[in-house]
Amino acid sequence: MDIQSYISSGKLELFLLGELTEREREEVLSLAMMHPEIQRELDELEETMFSFDNMTGVAPSQEVKDKIFSTLENDFILKEAPKPTTAPTDTKVVPIASPWKPFAIAASIAAIVASGAAFYYADKYQERNDQFTALLQDQSVMADNLNQVKQDFEEADSRLDKFVAGDFKRIEMKGEGFDMQKDARVDVLWDQNAQEVFIAVNNLNELSDDLDYQLWAIGDDGPVGIGLVNSGEKLTLQQMEAVAQAGAFAITIEPKGGSKSPTLEKLVVLGEVA
Amino acid sequence: MEEVQLIAGLRAKDRKTTEYLYDKYSRALFAVISRIVFDKDIAEEVFHDSFVKITRKIDHYDESKGRLYTWMANICRNSAIDKLRSKEISQSGKTNTIDDFVYGMESQSGTQEQIDGIGVKELMIELNDDQKFIVEYIYFKGYTHSEVSEEFDIPLGTVKSRVRAAIQVLKKNVARI
Repeated sequence: MDIQSYISSGKLELFLLGELTEREREEVLSLAMMHPEIQRELDELEETMFSFDNMTGVAPSQEVKDKIFSTLENDFILKEAPKPTTAPTDTKVVPIASPWKPFAIAASIAAIVASGAAFYYADKYQERNDQFTALLQDQSVMADNLNQVKQDFEEADSRLDKFVAGDFKRIEMKGEGFDMQKDARVDVLWDQNAQEVFIAVNNLNELSDDLDYQLWAIGDDGPVGIGLVNSGEKLTLQQMEAVAQAGAFAITIEPKGGSKSPTLEKLVVLGEVA
Repeated sequence: MEEVQLIAGLRAKDRKTTEYLYDKYSRALFAVISRIVFDKDIAEEVFHDSFVKITRKIDHYDESKGRLYTWMANICRNSAIDKLRSKEISQSGKTNTIDDFVYGMESQSGTQEQIDGIGVKELMIELNDDQKFIVEYIYFKGYTHSEVSEEFDIPLGTVKSRVRAAIQVLKKNVARI
């Protein structure tokens, strides 16, 4: 796809203004994930919108700030540790002649212990915080992976549906009768009603870069080229062009990009429709 | 503070983080609202509700669906539009234009506002009439792009490309000032 023209379509701006449908939002997000240029443009646009808003605005009044924080007061969770020394001494009436030294020493020790604990927990907190951040990042990576797997799965699932629902005929094309590659074998799966053709390469030699394998459907009107075969993708299904009528399928070796009519000397495999 | 930390702090209902959020974003978010709701008291009321909503709904914010500022600005924008379209305001018959806004900014007394207000005109100045029109309706009056398209009989694609062009000019100006 043309990333530049996608970027300049205006869609990213509408995304930031919250004006896209859920489906379009998903599209922008998944494209941004795949193309760093799109992500960078989104980040820059967001930064622009923020700066624009920030520069053109005036601060809301102090009263609003106070009101907001008093509304939120009960939401906040306090993290401060209770002070160990104050509570008991405040309530008790201390006799004038009380020996203050032991109390002072006790208080000092308590303070030292407390500040030691504070450092210890601050350190722990920082450590946990880092771990938490790392986990958040891991999680977003996993979410990305999951999305990818989901897409792959949906694709595979829709193919499976097709095969379960369709009426596919299997035609084995073999190289035994020809001189090119005796052990070559490719299967054609053909649903005549839906006119859909898939092939699965079982065994085909690699070709040099200037040549291609081309699949032919041979019907009443002679051979018709219905697509190039990827010999590297073994035992996966490759969808070819639609065919309504054929008595046989064959593969020949042709110059890169395929030919209008097959080079019969370079016939590799042939299979007749039963 | 990194955005990840900020979000984690907000989710932990930490007061300091919430204050940081307020200090960094209140001006921009209030601007989003004031552009649409011109009455200062009502705008502040909308801002109060939006900010409280942001801190309380932070668990609904999904990082994978966009950055924090975009999410917050959309909450503010939508609350402002809801307010604008509620009877309360439409009866007073107020409409905003860029000129009102700029004028409003300039006419406010006190040095603070004068310093704050610098830039609005400069930011707008290089927009051509088409772009100014788009910014006025989408940014200042809270129209969606399809409403602009329908109401003024401009093809949707044209609205989109004008939004893009206008924001590109703003981007350049923001960087310059």
